[in-house]
Amino acid sequence: MSHHLFLLSPSDTPIYSLTHYSSKPAQSTSYPLASNLPTWSTSAFAGTLTALSGASSVTQSHHVPGGGVKMGGGQDRHVVQMIANASLDNIEDVMRRENAMYLKSVDKFNEWTVSAFVTPGNVKFVLLHDQAKNDEGIRAFFHDVWELYVKTMLNPFHTAHTVIRSAAFDARVRASAKKNL
Amino acid sequence: MATPSKQYKAIGEDLWKSRTEKVNAELFALTYGALVVQLIQDYEDYGEVNKQLEKMGYNIGTRLIEDFLARSSVGRCSDFREVGEVVAKVGFKSFLNITPTVTHPPPTSRPTSVQQTSIPTSSFILTLDENPLAEFVELPEEALEGGLWFSNVLCGVLRGALEMVQMQVQAEFLSDVLRGDETTEIRVTLLKYLEEEVPMGDE
Repeated sequence: MSHHLFLLSPSDTPIYSLTHYSSKPAQSTSYPLASNLPTWSTSAFAGTLTALSGASSVTQSHHVPGGGVKMGGGQDRHVVQMIANASLDNIEDVMRRENAMYLKSVDKFNEWTVSAFVTPGNVKFVLLHDQAKNDEGIRAFFHDVWELYVKTMLNPFHTAHTVIRSAAFDARVRASAKKNL
Repeated sequence: MATPSKQYKAIGEDLWKSRTEKVNAELFALTYGALVVQLIQDYEDYGEVNKQLEKMGYNIGTRLIEDFLARSSVGRCSDFREVGEVVAKVGFKSFLNITPTVTHPPPTSRPTSVQQTSIPTSSFILTLDENPLAEFVELPEEALEGGLWFSNVLCGVLRGALEMVQMQVQAEFLSDVLRGDETTEIRVTLLKYLEEEVPMGDE
């Protein structure tokens, strides 16, 4: 069971991403996309635009909003990022309707569900996961990530649009993911 | 008679408690952080930023010493060693509520001094285990490579304050946890005692 987390700045630029392989037992679902990601991996958004052009060949009826996301290599990452981007529209819809921070699941694509969390500063946390009903865990995880994010924001060298490169932040997010997801 | 160091600690504690106007630590740290970031953007050279921070600290120090001497009843220090104790236990405590540890390396006489100095060079090292200025800070790559001393204003404050009490010193950072070192250390070296000079133009 794997999860993908993306943090997006108020201007919809990616700040951080994480892929996490949970060790919790999951319902057996068959994945049409064979997930060949290594157990723990993160990508800093330093991919090339050629990957983006390659992604257009994936059959995807959604129009991708939210700006050009540079992607890392790998077929699966493309689709994952496409899904995340495509869900931004849905997130904004739900945001307009509800005032809560934790928007539960905003979108579904094949076996992936997208949950979102919007901070008061309009930073979006997007989590892709499969069907496992883990609402409370996800909520707790989002709150943890939010706290860690706030601490990072207090760093004067950090602006709302800087990519988060801190190893400490990374380690703590992974630990929280392990605990909650 | 209580040992001077315990006395100083008590004086420092009292001064801190009796201070009625305190400022929020987060506000302080964020303000200083914004200042440093702005300086970096303006000067774009980390060496220059260090110098500017030191200069600003110098201006602060020259005024701060008056406040310090007015509030505390600490008399004249007998030697440079005692200066180190007072600075650490009373000075830092009453303004920043931290007590850095003081160490005194053995004094070395400078062989290559221009004029014959009869006083061997004394210095002390302040080891700060916490730094309220750098509360949430993580230095980015360029700052690490450029040699930025984030809290360099403290060196300026020490230099300014001690100059007003007739000591010319040099204060510099030896290590900083923000840079990945084990500890944060400032070395204060006495250059010379300043003689009382008649101001120019007076008769």
